[in-house]
Amino acid sequence: MVDAFYWITIDLLLWGITSIYILKLAPNSSQLMFMFISGVLLWNVAYRGQVDISMGLLEELWNKNLINLFVSPLTFKDWISSLIFISIIKSLISLTFGSILGYFLYRVGILDLFPHLIVFIALLMMTGWWLGLFISGIILRFGTRVQALSWTLVWIVSPFSAIYYPLDILPMWAQMLSKIFPTSYIFEESRNLLYNGQVNYSNLGISAVLNVIYLIASFYFINSSFKKVLAKGLVKIY
Amino acid sequence: MSVLRVSNITKKFKDFVAVDDISFELKEGEILGLLGPNGAGKTTTIQMLLGVLSSTSGDISYFGKKLVTNREEILEKVNFSSTYTNLPWSLTVRENLNYISYLYKIADRKKRIETLTTSFRLEKLVDLEMSALSAGQLTRVNLAKAFINFPRVLLLDEPTASLDPEVARFVRGFILSQREKYKVSIIFTSHNMSEVEEVCDRILFIKDGKIIVDDTPKNLSKSIKESKVHLIITSGDDALLFDYCVDNGMKIYSEKKQYTIDLAQSMIPSLLTFLGHNNINYSEISIDKPDLEDYFLKVASNRKSMEL
Repeated sequence: MVDAFYWITIDLLLWGITSIYILKLAPNSSQLMFMFISGVLLWNVAYRGQVDISMGLLEELWNKNLINLFVSPLTFKDWISSLIFISIIKSLISLTFGSILGYFLYRVGILDLFPHLIVFIALLMMTGWWLGLFISGIILRFGTRVQALSWTLVWIVSPFSAIYYPLDILPMWAQMLSKIFPTSYIFEESRNLLYNGQVNYSNLGISAVLNVIYLIASFYFINSSFKKVLAKGLVKIY
Repeated sequence: MSVLRVSNITKKFKDFVAVDDISFELKEGEILGLLGPNGAGKTTTIQMLLGVLSSTSGDISYFGKKLVTNREEILEKVNFSSTYTNLPWSLTVRENLNYISYLYKIADRKKRIETLTTSFRLEKLVDLEMSALSAGQLTRVNLAKAFINFPRVLLLDEPTASLDPEVARFVRGFILSQREKYKVSIIFTSHNMSEVEEVCDRILFIKDGKIIVDDTPKNLSKSIKESKVHLIITSGDDALLFDYCVDNGMKIYSEKKQYTIDLAQSMIPSLLTFLGHNNINYSEISIDKPDLEDYFLKVASNRKSMEL
């Protein structure tokens, strides 16, 4: 549970201090602090969603406990649902803590994005789930030798998500690639709301559709990975 | 009444056949020993019986229902303990038993955990993390976990490994008492043959993925006809004894005045008569009758040479 507070605190300190320094160099960039802090808080939602799902699996593997779960009446769907449920709880706790800390340190209130904030959070949680399920599917297939994916793969998505900068500063190929990530639409629209006071709902719709497609695909992938594991034997994946 | 029926299950890993078309039944209240050398297919069979390894072909049914289509309903009444699985290290014994009791939907969790921690002498350990326990203590926690749901069928893979003899005896007693009280049916693997003889009603001997013997421990021991006679000879011509043994197909070994003779049980009376008639006197004599361990060693090393 400590990690739900630790990483967001570190990120808030780093990005908050960086934005204070940039504001000294460019005093007219009044929204910069808000952009960085809201970026940290919102990205943390997707990150936590992914990490809590894949780490949930890894902890069972490290403890050699997976077999104890699946010799019980627990179903695979129950187990996946519980991982998602835990990720929701931890994401919300971490977000609440980060929001209070962000306000306390920098007087930045993420609630300014309300009511759209709820949509952003819901979409980012979905991104975290499909990333977490996809990574868990890979770990089920290849065991703990690919465990590093659990805390690294999500960061591959981050440059294309335009968390702290507008999408159009990326090179064209990266802009094209970013279109396949639901996160890029969310962060673009959070900045749109911040700077222009409006949201392009069709972009949020695209993000939602992409999330649903990836979520279905990741459910299918982890389910087929679990079937492969059952063919090898649960006791053999470590 | 049969609580478990295994019909022609086979498990192949690519070209390797780990379990080869085996079939057996487990009756209510029966303790069935699954024996065989390492790599024989015992653990693979147990994993298939638990549904954590899919079989290549064949059917497994508990209580008249197929495992593959009635998994949740069946697994509520089945449990398992093994030395190759652990419970989460960072949780205490009580927390582990508590979360396991949620998985099995135990109604009065607190009472059940108290009963089991008392039964397995874990009262002083319940609030310790698993990482603080010794191997023997971990085995006892795993056994407590296996009994948490009042299982009707229990699969125990080397349940007394890592236990000291006194606790192992206590655990065997507990297993037998549970069978008496609740008619629990148990599949039991162990490398301790005297334990298997004490606990099991019937034994399946598996080798190279096939069941090669299905019989009671007593009958299996009887099937080994060779005994060992140990003698300390005090007077008489031992050359006569050597000649007698060689002529009658017995093996004889000597070290100073101590002699060991391998012979068929039926030959023991004639050996003793021979010693008396030839004035070969001995101060001590002991006879080792064959037991399950002899059977295991013989079958594991070479089945064909065994005289069944």
